[in-house]
Amino acid sequence: MSQAALTTRVAAGRRKRHANGSGATWGSPTTYLVATILIAVCIAPVLYIIIGGFRTNSQITVDPAGWPKPWVVTNYLQVLSSPVFWQEFGNSSISAVATTAGAVGLALMVSYVIARYRFAGRNAMYSLFAAGLMFPLTVAITPLYLLIKNLGLTNNLVGIILPQIAFALPATVIILVPFLAAIPKELEEAAAIDGAGRISFFFRMVLPLSLPGVITTGILAFIGAWNGYLLPLFILNNSAQYTLPLGVQAFSSEHSVDTAAVLAFTSLSMIPALVFFSIFERRIVGGLSGAVKG
Amino acid sequence: MLHTVKGSALLALGASVALVLSGCSGAPSATVSSSGPVTMTFWHNSTTGDGLKYWQDTVAAFEKENPNVTINIQAIQNEDMDGKLQTALNSGDGPTIFMARGGGKLADVVAADKVMDITSQISSDVKSAYGSAIFSAFTIDGKIYGMPTSVLPGGIYYSKDLFKQAGITTPPTTFDELNADVTKLKSAGVTPIALGGKDAWPAAHWYYFFALRDCSKDVMNAAAAKKDFSDGCWTKAGEDLKAFSSTEPFNTGFLTTSAQQGAGSSAGMLANHKAAMELMGAWDPGVIADLTSDKKALPDLGWFPFPATTGGAGDPSAMMGGSDGFACLKTAPAACVQFLNFIASKSNQEGYATAFKTLPASQQAQSVVSDPALKDVLSSYNKASYVMLWLDTMYGQNVGNALNGGVVNMLAGKGSPADIVTAVKTAAAKG
Amino acid sequence: MSESAEALATRSSGSQAARDGAVQAPSRADRPGRRKADWRQRLEIALLSGPAIIIFLTFVIFPVFMAAYYGFFKWKGFGVPTNFVGLQNYLTIFTDQNFLDALKHNGLIVVASLVMQGPAAIAFALLLNQNIRGRSVIRVLIFVPYVISEVIVGTGWGLMLQYQGAVNSLLTNIGLGAFKVDWIADPNIAIWTLMVIISWKYIGFAVILMLAGIQSIANELYEAAAIDGASYWQIQRWITLPLLGPTIRVWAFLSIIGSMQLFDLVYIIWGQYVASTAGTSTMATYMVREGRLAGNYGYGNAVGVAIFVISLVIALTYQRFVLRRDTEGALTGDSGRKGK
Repeated sequence: MSQAALTTRVAAGRRKRHANGSGATWGSPTTYLVATILIAVCIAPVLYIIIGGFRTNSQITVDPAGWPKPWVVTNYLQVLSSPVFWQEFGNSSISAVATTAGAVGLALMVSYVIARYRFAGRNAMYSLFAAGLMFPLTVAITPLYLLIKNLGLTNNLVGIILPQIAFALPATVIILVPFLAAIPKELEEAAAIDGAGRISFFFRMVLPLSLPGVITTGILAFIGAWNGYLLPLFILNNSAQYTLPLGVQAFSSEHSVDTAAVLAFTSLSMIPALVFFSIFERRIVGGLSGAVKG
Repeated sequence: MLHTVKGSALLALGASVALVLSGCSGAPSATVSSSGPVTMTFWHNSTTGDGLKYWQDTVAAFEKENPNVTINIQAIQNEDMDGKLQTALNSGDGPTIFMARGGGKLADVVAADKVMDITSQISSDVKSAYGSAIFSAFTIDGKIYGMPTSVLPGGIYYSKDLFKQAGITTPPTTFDELNADVTKLKSAGVTPIALGGKDAWPAAHWYYFFALRDCSKDVMNAAAAKKDFSDGCWTKAGEDLKAFSSTEPFNTGFLTTSAQQGAGSSAGMLANHKAAMELMGAWDPGVIADLTSDKKALPDLGWFPFPATTGGAGDPSAMMGGSDGFACLKTAPAACVQFLNFIASKSNQEGYATAFKTLPASQQAQSVVSDPALKDVLSSYNKASYVMLWLDTMYGQNVGNALNGGVVNMLAGKGSPADIVTAVKTAAAKG
Repeated sequence: MSESAEALATRSSGSQAARDGAVQAPSRADRPGRRKADWRQRLEIALLSGPAIIIFLTFVIFPVFMAAYYGFFKWKGFGVPTNFVGLQNYLTIFTDQNFLDALKHNGLIVVASLVMQGPAAIAFALLLNQNIRGRSVIRVLIFVPYVISEVIVGTGWGLMLQYQGAVNSLLTNIGLGAFKVDWIADPNIAIWTLMVIISWKYIGFAVILMLAGIQSIANELYEAAAIDGASYWQIQRWITLPLLGPTIRVWAFLSIIGSMQLFDLVYIIWGQYVASTAGTSTMATYMVREGRLAGNYGYGNAVGVAIFVISLVIALTYQRFVLRRDTEGALTGDSGRKGK
């Protein structure tokens, strides 16, 4: 079969997927009821956090379950107008994007090798990455810091990006391998017949077909890096390099925590991760399907 | 056959890379002779508010007086400080000037040869302003390793208004009186004592104070030297605490109340008149002020010392408290000790007391304290026959952690007073 | 008629393993003239996998070995460890009642997570699989708890569940004050509180995973069943559920490993001391309490290694007995010998 025909097949498949999406109908009331309950349960604590940002510490102590009275906007305004917040926002963005690109890129290459090449070290390689899931970061931090210092990367965003990539690799590889393995051999053989090498096959066929998987792992890596606290805490000493999770420190003094301000701060810092997720949400579902087909 | 043993080859490569890299560790920070430009790093835990500003101003003043010195400040949240400091010191990359609280914790760092001995370099002005007693917290094996900046004696802070509401006219001086007051408060519908049990150390502080009343000074010092807790007074202190807690003086749900973490903490309860008393150190007025509805100091806040017990071997006027201070890295330049002497000067100590709403270490600077509760603390402190360091600081992290856990277990009904002492012995096996 | 790539992939995935097994039999290296291709293949493998492996070994595996090394010492964390104690730390760990309690709690969390989240996620996924309006919005909203960091989740829930916090306050306000309990510190309730919070955080992820698994099932099967007159729920029971098997097994794997590592939520909401008295301590909170907080870094590292080994044993066992029919025996290297 020619490569052109194969491409058409793939494209047709994708078109068909989209066709499914537009035929949406109204579901039964039971479905919506269940969905509403589920959503309410999921969102209620988040709303508590967001609304808590509109109160003062005194309000929260005296009337924990009450509405803000009065509505206090200074917490949110204070955070939004603070240049430190935006600087940390920028640092977090750089860290998260770089980690995502690095983790997904490297994992894609390794997963491709594990999934589609035959060689004896294959299972050992897969096990190596799977084993990395098992180790708690809190213990790794002491030798890790020493290593980063010796590489001269303390106080540098690269010093947290590289370990973040490394720690994101296991989950990414585990999800991508079965997905890449599921791409049928016929496509590969047809491409070989057409004279395209493995590398060309990779870029022309594998990447488009595995894009949902790539985006899925990308989102997971982004969220992991965005929320990461331990690594930046130990490795970044200069407040100019701080990422958002560290920014909470500004509201905690030696003996006290400005709870309301912390709630406002954390509400604002979760927004980018949520936005990122909702943009790419459609793709996640398609992406994980590869992992479970085995 | 394709066997390349790729996996193990790569592992070997990685391991040798790692070995090479780890071999290059421990290079000490470069020290420049005091005539040339000197750069130092300074870590403290005031991440916000007046404290942060105070340090920025003080460092700027020092740099002005010493134009060849540059100090990089880093403010780290209190809970994260220990971990970050340990990691940094261990990698040979420690800050030049860092926070220290003395006692066993400092002793561990001294034992690893990371702290500078400043005994001979403390200026005579500072020595006469401070008196000699205050340095005992930072003295290890007869040598002084840190400069205190504040004294934080503990005692019971209370709300005068709530006491009046319950018909209590004078603060209690003995435990019998305190028990009676607790009953009066309960009949008036007021929670007698707020306790931040979640953080463990506020509960443990009750135990430490009972130990202060029940154990003699010598026994307590001996325990520091030999980690020997076999004296019966330690168990008696636990029994006293158990008896006291069985009268239910603490707020319901004290195990889920934090000490100072903002809203819902024990300090918050006191600030909003949801509880009448709290056993705390001298930082409490400042913390409470942050949590009141108008964010100003609580106008009716009073203080009285931990009451006397019956039959204890300790002196009823003895006090216990902590001391915040700073130490120099072993390899620090001479400018480091100059900085320590600088922050100990009268004007800087006065500024410190005002910024942190607390008691300065320097006796000369104490006149600037204006808060009425703090004034009471000061007078008791000056009259105390002896002052002990918080036991978890004095005995080191390992023992302190075990004591804290043992007390919480007992208060949660999961252990006996004797188990507190057993916990210490078990901890010794791990460290 | 054009088949979708998905259908192709679905059909082929089942026989993928067999085909791979068959391909391996005539070994390529035996045939002369393929030598050049071998070299080229080796180079491709090295180039593609090299960077990832180097970064992974340096930043993840190396610290594991260093931690194992520190675990053989009693060490205060400063300077070079000098007090070699061999396996004594490990001995202390496994004879310490606190650790065994934590291990028991972890086990409970593993089982309870599977039981509480699994069926619920499947049920929700089946319900929400229908192509209804608002599907996207629903999915985004139930995924929100997963997106928020554990630290924020812990802070918010901690505030709400304190004895004088929002939940008890709400109960009092609506007249149910009699139901006020200590959600966090009461040992009879605390573990269930923890399970509710964990389920809250991860149910969205489980649902999305199940939805994805459902969507990889070929449409022809549904069409055939519909032609035969099967009702929606009959289809779910006889087609969807069995074919969700691989999904469920992968999700269970991730859930088990996550449960073994649980730390942030417990640490922030319970604090390290009350976690023990309330019965919610985990191996990771034990590690931080006995290691970093007590200043016993050697011991703490030993606990970290113990967690690693225990997780690894469980993972290997799981791979061997449960997952082997879904993946190609990835961790146990059984591909080609299964003779599917």
